[in-house]
Amino acid sequence: MLPTQLVVALLVGVVLVVLLTMGARPLAAHAVGRIVLLVGLVALPLLLSVGNLSYGVSQSSSTRFCLSCHEMERFGRSLFVDNRQALAAVHYQNRLVPRENTCYTCHKDYALFGDVKAKLNGLRHVWAHYVSGVPAQIKLYEAYPNSNCLHCHDDSRRFVEKDVHRSISSQLYAGSVSCLSCHRIAHDMTKVDAHQFWQAQ
Amino acid sequence: MIRTIRRAAICTGLGLVIQLAAALDWTPLTFIASAVIGLPLILVGALLFLRAVWKSLKSGGPP
Repeated sequence: MLPTQLVVALLVGVVLVVLLTMGARPLAAHAVGRIVLLVGLVALPLLLSVGNLSYGVSQSSSTRFCLSCHEMERFGRSLFVDNRQALAAVHYQNRLVPRENTCYTCHKDYALFGDVKAKLNGLRHVWAHYVSGVPAQIKLYEAYPNSNCLHCHDDSRRFVEKDVHRSISSQLYAGSVSCLSCHRIAHDMTKVDAHQFWQAQ
Repeated sequence: MIRTIRRAAICTGLGLVIQLAAALDWTPLTFIASAVIGLPLILVGALLFLRAVWKSLKSGGPP
């Protein structure tokens, strides 16, 4: 959705800068004019810029933003496959994660500086996309941490009441056994390629 | 001083236009353009303006 208020504010900022450029000479001649120039050419643009970038950072967590690179399209489609075992599809289709931030919710670390790490990884993606080239097979930079799963499932009834989870809980918390060693399919690319998608009634 | 202020305003204006274009459609490319070109242009504009003011104050007043 277009951030109308932000766009209008930036538009006003541009118009103001143009007007101040044209009226720079008379304004610079007296003290009040110089303050107007300071506000219009320095303070306001910096404020608008910070606001805009902060909005941009929040937008960079959106599903739409992640899937805007063509190499991510197949991963986007995997959210819709008809497979109750595929983690991405189950979480998306059952609204276990917010749909507008699906990728970010599962792929950011919930530790300290998790957001910063995710954004820096995002810059690595952008570098690969535009400069170094996308690898033939897209992989995670490091093994998927159990803590990301446990952040939500930790004390959930469905998780706690499963005997198998209780029996290996210490290994799961220590990370010595990966959640993905049982829940093997994260993104079902086979069904994406076979066009087997779930259709909501 | 006026010429420097106008240069500063042009930098700031360009920076804002880039930020405006990015705000219309946030994609990885527009985000990078906004952060790597738009914001630095605005900072350069601010520095140019402040330098012009500083020079003017040092020389004893407005043009």
